[in-house]
Amino acid sequence: MKLSSKKNKVLIIIVVVILIIFLLNFFQKDIKSFFYSVSAPIQKVLWRAGDRTSDFFGGIVRVKILKQELDELKLENQELTAQVVALEDLKKENKTLRQVLEIGFQKEFKLALAQIISKDISQDFILIDKGSDDGISKNMPVITQQRVLVGKIGEIYKNFSKVMLSSNKESSFDAKIQKEEKDISGVVKGQGNFRILFDFIPREENLSQEDIVITSALGGIFPKGLLVGKIKEIKKSDVDPFQQAEIEPFFDVSQTEALFIIL
Amino acid sequence: MFKKILISIIVFYFLVLIQTSFLVHFNILGIVPNLVLISVVLWNLFEKSKNYFGLYIALIGGFFLDIFSNRLIGFYILILFALAIFLKLVFKRYVRIPFTEKN
Repeated sequence: MKLSSKKNKVLIIIVVVILIIFLLNFFQKDIKSFFYSVSAPIQKVLWRAGDRTSDFFGGIVRVKILKQELDELKLENQELTAQVVALEDLKKENKTLRQVLEIGFQKEFKLALAQIISKDISQDFILIDKGSDDGISKNMPVITQQRVLVGKIGEIYKNFSKVMLSSNKESSFDAKIQKEEKDISGVVKGQGNFRILFDFIPREENLSQEDIVITSALGGIFPKGLLVGKIKEIKKSDVDPFQQAEIEPFFDVSQTEALFIIL
Repeated sequence: MFKKILISIIVFYFLVLIQTSFLVHFNILGIVPNLVLISVVLWNLFEKSKNYFGLYIALIGGFFLDIFSNRLIGFYILILFALAIFLKLVFKRYVRIPFTEKN
């Protein structure tokens, strides 16, 4: 008798739970929006604290790697300085040519600044503190200060929105690698867990590691010229008509606090 | 009972906030410890098999995980609830942990 009453109790709980869950989904947006606005101040503090603590401990753990990186960067810096000088000359030349041809520079984007509040643990989504009230709408591109592509706006709430990172499994867009002779076009696909794949690159194209992938305006979602990442590993097979390459993304969500949304 | 539920609501709310805003900075190979899942499993493991508070905890934890994730509300609730029920049944039938059965 006692056992069956306990079983009944569990059964009742299960039915009630399923009913509540079903009902909650009708007001999903409002409920989530409410919780986000209540939690935002705490989450901002936690995000900053996490950022600082991980920087501190990360530094200690990686002293050896950092030293090696420093040496490499010094070398790279020298090379880049040489390039800058060369580019300065080109810039001057370009400016004069533009003046002659009367071509204006590309219009700068109108941007909205947003702060990251939290990150979804299982999917490549982040929550930012700007929403429909700030003029944000779905599919708007999200970038960092250095013009690195982060993703696009997925879901929007009143004062918050979720950014679908370019590494999200459902994300795909056109991109290219700029080469002197001819651009290499392909499709960038998210693989989840901050991994990105550069797919549908014709087999005859010569890719090399460290090539920089940028967005192209073909897809219509992102403006052209945003940095995506650099080629890490090239996958080529004799059977496939296309080759693939793994991209190391330039953005690091855990190291970024502020993002820009292109309006 | 009501007081216990209220306390666990507050505790799980903060656990999820810590998990989504603080611990994401410390991921190892992209893995962030799921504090809520760990707490629900531990609670149900060490709770006396005749008590059912572990099930409530699974519901509360699952609800907050759903709120701060990009899934429909119910995804984590059902997973954690099913897990809690599974643990309860297995422990009731096949496992006895001496120190949880005392008193």
